[in-house]
Amino acid sequence: MVEVEQQAEEQRPVAGFVPPDGPRTIEVTEVSKWYGDVVAVSNVSFAIGPGVTGLLGPNGAGKSTILKMLAGLLTPSMGTVRVLGEPVRANPGLYRRVGLVPEQEVVYPFLTGREFVRLNAILQRLPDPEAAAAAAIARVEMTAAADRPVGGYSKGMRQRIKVAAALVHEPEVLILDEPLTGTDPLQRLQLIKLIRSLGAEGRTVIVSSHILHEVERLADQILVLVNGKLAAAGDYRAIRDKIDEHARRVRVRADDARTLAAALIRLPALESVRVDGDAVLIETGDVRDLYRAVPKVARELGIRLYEVTALDDSLASVFAYVTAR
Amino acid sequence: MSITRRAPILWLTLRQFRAGRATLLVALFAATPVLFAAIFRWSSETGDAAEFLTNQFLEILAPTILPLATLILATNALGNEIADRTLVYIVLKPVARSRLIVEKFIASALVTALAFTIGLVATWVVASGGSGSGRMLGALLAGTLAGVAAYGALFLLVSLLVPRALLVGIIYVLIWESALARFIPGIKMLSVRHFAQSVFVRLLDNPAVRLDRALQLSSATIVLAVLVIAALALATLRLRQMNIP
Repeated sequence: MVEVEQQAEEQRPVAGFVPPDGPRTIEVTEVSKWYGDVVAVSNVSFAIGPGVTGLLGPNGAGKSTILKMLAGLLTPSMGTVRVLGEPVRANPGLYRRVGLVPEQEVVYPFLTGREFVRLNAILQRLPDPEAAAAAAIARVEMTAAADRPVGGYSKGMRQRIKVAAALVHEPEVLILDEPLTGTDPLQRLQLIKLIRSLGAEGRTVIVSSHILHEVERLADQILVLVNGKLAAAGDYRAIRDKIDEHARRVRVRADDARTLAAALIRLPALESVRVDGDAVLIETGDVRDLYRAVPKVARELGIRLYEVTALDDSLASVFAYVTAR
Repeated sequence: MSITRRAPILWLTLRQFRAGRATLLVALFAATPVLFAAIFRWSSETGDAAEFLTNQFLEILAPTILPLATLILATNALGNEIADRTLVYIVLKPVARSRLIVEKFIASALVTALAFTIGLVATWVVASGGSGSGRMLGALLAGTLAGVAAYGALFLLVSLLVPRALLVGIIYVLIWESALARFIPGIKMLSVRHFAQSVFVRLLDNPAVRLDRALQLSSATIVLAVLVIAALALATLRLRQMNIP
């Protein structure tokens, strides 16, 4: 599906993107969640099927609230949530088929990684918890560190052991809340590969992130959430093209910012270039072209790059743009 | 089959207790009667050990030391997991909420009871010079275990109802159990201490030891059992319904 649907002013729920004849493993219907006067999620509807779906939105957009409602941790103030055709609240039996990687980093620090995953296998009543734990640990490439206490793990290792724990019972539906947070580039690559393979196996995987390019590598289908409302839903490329239509600001730090700025100004889609200390501040209409050009130009000129940061990428401005359209 | 597989939540909770400082605090509370017994023995070589042990249980142990010590682990068992958000790892499993609550309760009661059993045996040996009556030791242990069970279930429930369960528990112990229940007859009948004291007094079966409005052993046992079951049932219900952040 390539359509992009924008939520209308009257807050019409955005339709999901399950093919008409496809299975609907997760169905969210007119769901709202509020805490006192604060509305965390407002009248959100979508349905998704097998494969990887990205839940994209800036911090505070309501992504975690939605995922917690999908996992049955929170009761919606209004609306219904069904997973695999069943209600999720007060339905512990459903957890045989569902796994969650929560957002928080804390994992029992006194357990080893293997003990933690095995505990999950035992609680899932698997016939051979040892073997299931070993297989899940191997799948996230944590075998070498599995017998060390989790308290000594890096953030990325904790994320991976949480994924192993959520995968140990081979769930049909996997909910991952910001699973790439704190991972180094290599770990990120491994997790992205793993998440994509889970989707390819026919599982329904929903992954939240506030980083646009992270989701691009993870999921073809995305839901964009802004201020608790579903702003867009559909194929990632179609939404990205819409986002890429507006100028984007990028900061490049280099050891010779002036020379780099002078070289970059020739790029066709550039709208403005400004040097600020060791940084070049660029506004462009084609950020992907810029990302390709910067390392190439720097290499040709022998300039060392320290940092390339998208100043409004993944931030509220991008999502605000989506909602404003 | 190992405890890990037979009772995984119990195993996890015991590991949590082993790793934390709360167990050390409980051990200190359990050691307090030993210290009092040593002071008693040192200050009065001819003092009546039975009278000392009775007064210590009725006036200090049952109303103050025991509930405070039980409070620490009972609120720790689930409260800490709610606070650090690790509760999600055990609630998102096909495990009955009642089983989760019962295993958490057993873990906290087990560790507290073990600490007090060791502490009370040592207290009994120190106070009586090793020649005290077995009935006294039995009454001390039974009264203490009854108190641990009732306070444990009650405080586990409190930890699911209020965010600052430890503080609420301390206020409850110091105001209700230690102060008001001591002086106001109506409140006395509604305090856990009175039922634990009744168990102790009835098992001691010493006419010289009197407790105002003491219940029969069977009545005290039934009330305590109902209290434990009701508190655990309410905790189960609460866990089923609560939103987990």
